[in-house]
Amino acid sequence: MSVRLLALIPVTVAISLALSAAVDAVALPLFLDTTGTILATALAGPVVGIAVGVLTSAVNTLRNPTFWPFVVVQIIVALYAGFAARAGLFRSLKTAVPTGLGLGVLASLTSTPISYFVFGCTTTGGIALTTALGRALGLPPLGACFFGSFVSDFGDKAVTFALVAAVLHALPRRTAARFPLALRAMGAT
Amino acid sequence: MRTLGLDDVTFWYPATANPALENITLDVGPGDIVALVGRGGAGASTLLLVAAGLAPRVTGGRLAGTVSRGARAGIVLPTPWTQLSGMAFTVWDEVAFGPANLGWPGHAISRHVDHALERLEIAPLASRDPASLSGGELQRVIIAGILAMDPDLVLLDEPTAELDPEGARAVWRLVRSLAGEGKAVLLATSDVDALPDVADRIVWLEQGSVRAMGEPSLLAEDALCEAGLGTTVAGLWRAAALPAPYPLTVVDAVQRWR
Amino acid sequence: MSALHPFSLLAIAAALPAFAWILPAPGGGLATATLALALALVPDVRAGARVVRVAVLTAAPFWLFLLLLHDLPTTVAMGLRITTMVASFVWLVAALPPDRLVEAMVARGWSLTLAYLFAATLSAVPVLKARAQRIVEAQRCRGLSPRGSVANRLRALRALALPLVLSALHEVDERAFALETRGMGSGVHRTPLAAPPDRPLERAARWALLLLCLAAVIWRLA
Repeated sequence: MSVRLLALIPVTVAISLALSAAVDAVALPLFLDTTGTILATALAGPVVGIAVGVLTSAVNTLRNPTFWPFVVVQIIVALYAGFAARAGLFRSLKTAVPTGLGLGVLASLTSTPISYFVFGCTTTGGIALTTALGRALGLPPLGACFFGSFVSDFGDKAVTFALVAAVLHALPRRTAARFPLALRAMGAT
Repeated sequence: MRTLGLDDVTFWYPATANPALENITLDVGPGDIVALVGRGGAGASTLLLVAAGLAPRVTGGRLAGTVSRGARAGIVLPTPWTQLSGMAFTVWDEVAFGPANLGWPGHAISRHVDHALERLEIAPLASRDPASLSGGELQRVIIAGILAMDPDLVLLDEPTAELDPEGARAVWRLVRSLAGEGKAVLLATSDVDALPDVADRIVWLEQGSVRAMGEPSLLAEDALCEAGLGTTVAGLWRAAALPAPYPLTVVDAVQRWR
Repeated sequence: MSALHPFSLLAIAAALPAFAWILPAPGGGLATATLALALALVPDVRAGARVVRVAVLTAAPFWLFLLLLHDLPTTVAMGLRITTMVASFVWLVAALPPDRLVEAMVARGWSLTLAYLFAATLSAVPVLKARAQRIVEAQRCRGLSPRGSVANRLRALRALALPLVLSALHEVDERAFALETRGMGSGVHRTPLAAPPDRPLERAARWALLLLCLAAVIWRLA
């Protein structure tokens, strides 16, 4: 692995974790904890993205061990972002946001079984409450759980994709050119 | 015999049409101290990266001309905190990072690290966590980390940027002693006033090419002073509309006055 | 505890939650949870009490929501498993300083790449977090507030996030230069600086623990 990619990974992991301060400041119900993963993938490909995703989960686990089972979600995110980048889907907000919404569906589909079997759908207060709501509405347990995580994931992933697209376009051309996949992800080659 | 030779070097960063460096020819031999001066964006940092072998290898881009380097080079970049290894939790380990990566045996590492800590006068900081240090302390730790690797070519990009005047003087003393040991030193600095006592040669860079090259007395020339790159004394003399040639240092000015 | 090799500590912290899930509830979960909490108290009761408190506080919300959503037996079974997981990790973080783990990885010949990624990430996180906080405060001085329409708040988020991410990316180059000049990626085998001692007995115990886990899985499936 080239030294530049080696330097990129810890920085993008730290980005995912540091953005929580920004999210709190605007009081939006977002996580943005896959920002680094998606950004790293758009710059350097899914392998790097997976490394970032795994490390992000690992560091989150140090704070709260219950994050670890969701490392699978980060890996799925990296793979999806890899396809999106190769298809140049970061080229504008019009393409990035729907792609992000698609990821939201995929991410909640992936995290629901984990949340259900390991935690009984109690991963966060928000998810537990929306699950209870889903149950009250008559959904079966697994469906209620999906409902719970879908509501938060849907918007979160769309915003994340939009943010990464904004970052890519804000990069000076000569910086973007140094990363293998960046120009293609922006549809600029 | 030269430690570093750049022959007609032109360098383009990736995806840029204009070269960052144009037709640079420069030699640095053992014991030389060569200082690059220029306005921001003139290409001094890029030139140091080329000298270190990091451009185009790590930066990408294209290089024309030849770079010959007879020995191991070490480069110290301007912002200390981005140069921390991230793998060391004490200053001692941080300085030992480079030598350990070179695969040196333990006793050699200890010797070089302790020596480097002493030279930078940071031995009392040896067991501190690098994350808790001030900018100036950190800069000295980074310099120590490069020196501990015993490079023959030492490249310094704004080595005194984070330091107070006392710390800066210590670094310039260090630079002179490095040259005294036979190392070749190429540095870029905006601390022009220190250069008459330190540098053997000055290189004036403008928009990627060498505008002038010569002895430190260059820093008192009219063109350089007009660009804002002369020594303070020369600049003041010129601003006071006193006649050329301008004095280089305070000592020169006093002599002229008599 | 500090006399144990870092990999042994890792093995214990991984084995306890594994057993909590493999062994039949609620007995298995109860045993492992108790063991995990007791481990924390072993060398130093006062420091251990802090670990136990953090573990309990982290696990408490799960118990609450489990009660909300499920019946009592499920709540107890899952709650104990989650408590084990939480307690063993909190204990691990308290018992194992990252630099010891890094040196153990390097000494064992694990790729320097892995050790670097792990360590550098841990170092980078607080730095970027502090920077994010500074950007937030600077924007607050300019009138940023958590009120307003969703669209406005998204715009504000962009104004906070973009400088943070761009400046971090810009630094990647400098970090790469620094790593290169200090010998990383040279392919030379790095000299370990302070390799923690590893006793053969410990190594054997780690393998035994792994085999025990596998045996439990097989027993459970049969």
